[in-house]
Amino acid sequence: MPATFPDIPVNRITDDPIERKLYSRDLAPVPAILVKPFFRTLPDAVIRPGNAEQVAEVVRQAARQRVPVTPRAAASTSYYNTVPVRGGWVLDVNDLRGGIELDAARQTVRTLPATTWFELDDALQQKGFAVKSYPSSAVSATIGGWVSMQGHGLGSLKYGGVGEQLVSLQVALPDGELRTVTRESDPPLDWFVAAEGTLGVITGVELTVRPRPAAESHHLFAFDDLNALGQSVAWLSRAEPRPFTIFFADSGYLRLLARGGFHIPLDLPPSHFPISEKGLLLASFQGETSEVNRGKDVLTRLPGQELPSDLALEEWNLRLYHLRTKRAGPSLLAAELWLPLDKLGHYLQAVKALAGRSHLLIGTYGLAVAPDMALVMSLYPTDERHTVKYLAAIGFTKWLHDLSARCGGRPYGVGLWNSAYLPRLFSPAQLDELKKRKARLDPTGIMNPGKLYRASFPLWPVTFSLGAAVLGAGHVMLGRERP
Amino acid sequence: MSDQTFFKGLMDESLICAYCGYCRTVCPTYVEVGWESCSPRGRIQLIRLLLAGTPLSAGQMTRLYQCTLCGHCAQVCSTRIDLRQFWLEARAQTVSRELSPQGLATARDNVARTGNVYGYQNDERAGWVEYMDDAPADLYQRDQAEVVYFVGCSSSFSPRAQRIAESFVRVLDAAQVSFTILGEGEVCCGFPLLAAGMHDQAQTLIEHNLERVRMTGARTVVFTCPACRMMWLEEYARHLPGIRLLHATELLAELMAARPLPLKDVNRVVTYHDPCDLARNGGVYDAPRQVLAAIPGLQFVEVHERRERGLCCGGGGDLEMVDPALAQRVAQRTASKLAATGAQVIATACPQCVRTLARGTEQAVPGVEVKDLVELLAEALDI
Repeated sequence: MPATFPDIPVNRITDDPIERKLYSRDLAPVPAILVKPFFRTLPDAVIRPGNAEQVAEVVRQAARQRVPVTPRAAASTSYYNTVPVRGGWVLDVNDLRGGIELDAARQTVRTLPATTWFELDDALQQKGFAVKSYPSSAVSATIGGWVSMQGHGLGSLKYGGVGEQLVSLQVALPDGELRTVTRESDPPLDWFVAAEGTLGVITGVELTVRPRPAAESHHLFAFDDLNALGQSVAWLSRAEPRPFTIFFADSGYLRLLARGGFHIPLDLPPSHFPISEKGLLLASFQGETSEVNRGKDVLTRLPGQELPSDLALEEWNLRLYHLRTKRAGPSLLAAELWLPLDKLGHYLQAVKALAGRSHLLIGTYGLAVAPDMALVMSLYPTDERHTVKYLAAIGFTKWLHDLSARCGGRPYGVGLWNSAYLPRLFSPAQLDELKKRKARLDPTGIMNPGKLYRASFPLWPVTFSLGAAVLGAGHVMLGRERP
Repeated sequence: MSDQTFFKGLMDESLICAYCGYCRTVCPTYVEVGWESCSPRGRIQLIRLLLAGTPLSAGQMTRLYQCTLCGHCAQVCSTRIDLRQFWLEARAQTVSRELSPQGLATARDNVARTGNVYGYQNDERAGWVEYMDDAPADLYQRDQAEVVYFVGCSSSFSPRAQRIAESFVRVLDAAQVSFTILGEGEVCCGFPLLAAGMHDQAQTLIEHNLERVRMTGARTVVFTCPACRMMWLEEYARHLPGIRLLHATELLAELMAARPLPLKDVNRVVTYHDPCDLARNGGVYDAPRQVLAAIPGLQFVEVHERRERGLCCGGGGDLEMVDPALAQRVAQRTASKLAATGAQVIATACPQCVRTLARGTEQAVPGVEVKDLVELLAEALDI
């Protein structure tokens, strides 16, 4: 047995090699050649604490023994945010689930961190309330996980990111202390938002909720011009009443769905190239009936063609199922981005041009998550069984990130793989501030080391840029669609 | 979510799996076990490792059988994998590599030797009729009938489930249905073998049962066991053109809509548990509720987790043969949720659900009764 803890039953700890292997990956498989020479992704042990005190006990021991600790719940991200890169212990916190306590008068709810967004919303809906926002992976994404990441998704356009909804967090700090943090505490809760588990382990969350909306309405529009689509998303995101969410997608996204065997709501030309200018916009309003009705009035000013309401409802019902596109793979890689809304049309056109030039299938979809900001995913199919082809496809992600950077965009989330983009993500002053927090709270550096603060070789900007440029060029050759 | 699912083979689907973990949150056994290897996405990775030639032990492959085949993972799968098909083929791969659990080999041997998974003499299959005070002289075994009631192993041999068969034949009589049972002419439908990954061994059973049903000239085969019905729909139906294969609740809803039965008040608070193979996997949601709604005096309360989101009782997928303690834990959790509705009676429409939930309530919520819907109907008919 690799570790023992007085208060944690031994059947909650494993060093079984196959079990540990399953904890050494997340959504995006990465070939061993990019991982094994540089990182120790296989944990020495996996520990499943049953409560906050047990979490604190593990962290305390880890600090004492200087063992890296990687917190993990759904592991539904793709940058190795929850995968160890220096061995150590993976802390599987999934048993800290449920414990939902609604305070209807204050419109707040407390919950354990591994409760999923779907579960929390489902529980609240039964009591006449709803979460204010949730990720597009809400079926598996956990409350604590989304707080630890960037926390923007459906509903963020109207209610802000999850960070804005937090009232308090309970955190197991790296010294093993369980502390409740608020906006006024020292350290404040803001430090733990998007910290990716590098400052402690979230063991409890309190956040504001909203009354269950009295009405909702969904409207799907087809566009024949990506610039008009981008401009419409930007305009509607600033309109009043504010939509609950705005989803958009280009024809590449629809092609991926069609290739996967799914029905799509638009007719596309039989040939992929030249790439269609077509796109979709789904606007959803939620709130009081009068507000939703006023929202419908606003939509009359949109230039697109409104599609039948059953198609709009179908798109809404599929809002948590964008990964259906993976059936076009079997593998699918993506660049996930923050993008200024006023450049959305420009970005969509630029992706179209790149795809057209290179004869690549690239699909883009996203959400407006603030009046001036979109969360965008550009996806492309590949096949991890062909290592060379797959490596090249991984490199191509940087091409899309570069393209977005030219439109003022930046990667969404850091983890290990996006640490190569740190200069784009933070100013030097911002990064210094983050490092000071880390040094203060985790002086021994045990909490999720290798993530967020600095790039490790081969992700240094020079080696990464060169490598990705070469590999990406390889994808342009190898990933070419047949006419 | 769309019902559309796909299956392009084990390796392809294991690659298509996005590892998103949607399946994890609804899996009744993962919730109990807690390790990633017992999540559906973890099991998919195990199969991928197996197919790639990684040496895995029978112990490690047991994870594949710590699954009730409840289908909830398939219902939420973000890449729309037909996971039921995936699990069945994965288990067949495990069997072909001699890595399946020992308990299943025993079941296979029992079926081969006796025609039922329990290993009882098959001539005792209709023994439950002989114990009925009011059984007709022909013991419900008629040469020709409009309807064949395929009783299934559980209701033929399990003492608790035999009461379901008794109630159903009484209800059929009350509804004046011309029916027969097959008696010792019936053998296991083959589902336990299919679920074990032993599809080939199920073939002789299928051929035997088909022949017996054809001999009766029946136009309808009716089942109180949803797993038998699923098996017949998937493996027998193509050999029986024009013959309807119905669950008991479907037939009863139809009969009662045509001609109401003389039902007495059942003054109890009742909830309904959707059996996985009848509801989520079988698509029958409304018929049981229509039957319950027709019973006067009955106060019906729905559990929040129902229909497509119904909870598993823990009794499916051969789990009881592989890990009975785990099946019991699942049953206790589900029984507790159902009892939290305030129901005095948990009604369901499956002998296996009745058996496992009855044990679950005994442990978790003593005092709450578990009944098959046909038992409640027999009670309302006072028969």
